[in-house]
Amino acid sequence: MTMLSAIIVVGLGTYAMRALFLVTLSDKTFPPLALRLLEYVAPAVLGSLVISMLIDSEAQVALGAPELAGLAAAAIIAAKTRSHVLALFSAMALFWLLRWLA
Amino acid sequence: MSTHTKSSLVWRGITSAIPLFVPALPFAFMLGVVVTEWGIPSLLGWSSSPIIFGGAAQITLLTLLGEGASVAAAVSAALIVGARHLLYSVSLAPQFHNQPRWFRWLGAYLLVDQMFALASIEKWQDSDDFRIFYLSAGSTFWAMWMTFTAIGIIVGPVIPESWGLAFAAPVLFIGLLAVSIDRWQTLAVALVAMVAAVALAQLPNRLGILAAALIALLVGLLLERLRR
Repeated sequence: MTMLSAIIVVGLGTYAMRALFLVTLSDKTFPPLALRLLEYVAPAVLGSLVISMLIDSEAQVALGAPELAGLAAAAIIAAKTRSHVLALFSAMALFWLLRWLA
Repeated sequence: MSTHTKSSLVWRGITSAIPLFVPALPFAFMLGVVVTEWGIPSLLGWSSSPIIFGGAAQITLLTLLGEGASVAAAVSAALIVGARHLLYSVSLAPQFHNQPRWFRWLGAYLLVDQMFALASIEKWQDSDDFRIFYLSAGSTFWAMWMTFTAIGIIVGPVIPESWGLAFAAPVLFIGLLAVSIDRWQTLAVALVAMVAAVALAQLPNRLGILAAALIALLVGLLLERLRR
């Protein structure tokens, strides 16, 4: 029940952000500083989320060599090719290969 | 006066949407992984697709709730992830100026990353043409997202845990992080977020995730002020 209400709140919030200017047809725009701040949302939130996915409940980072190699490969390939799809598939392939060899 | 036939516009919408769905596939599949990993009831997990209709926000919300974050922290983090939609809304508003009211309400619901990209590539002269194209591409995209997230959630539990598929979540997100870094300032903000997330990991209810993101955003604000 709690989860359903959380989903509904995020749904309403996301819709409100999409609809705000389309529905009101407001000619208002953001102050330039706010626009540039939006560019930092992705690196800030994703950086924090990646760490949260890698640490366990005791706040310990426990990664073996295949995991580290996979993460490094994903970061490098994504940075070079700008494609998260290519990065995901090649990094997972490397991860599985190293695990299989170990 | 329309310069295209209706069916050719519908067809163009469908064929434009399909290749753009490829980057969304890992998200659909990841939703299945997250729902399986945290034992979220399938239908409840899938309901986030029609209700939120945004992969990154859906995965953020469900991951954080699964990890035991407080509802307030998980909801705020998911909404911050979705903040870019404000930007889409601002920049597409001129295209919607001559559109009927019902379409502005419906069009907003369909405004995902890919629809923003499609709608901003081309300047449409005819507002009826634009509306048909947008609705066709948007509903194609919507139908594919509903279908593939359902497949992800059905297939997720079938895959043995020993495959280590859950590791695909941080791999996908570190790739997205790398794509979002385009200059030293964004790199600095990402590093601050990661260091802060490690430092604040002991905070209750996984509050550290939100706190780290906010600290990093403040650093970004500071860097922008210094630039001028």
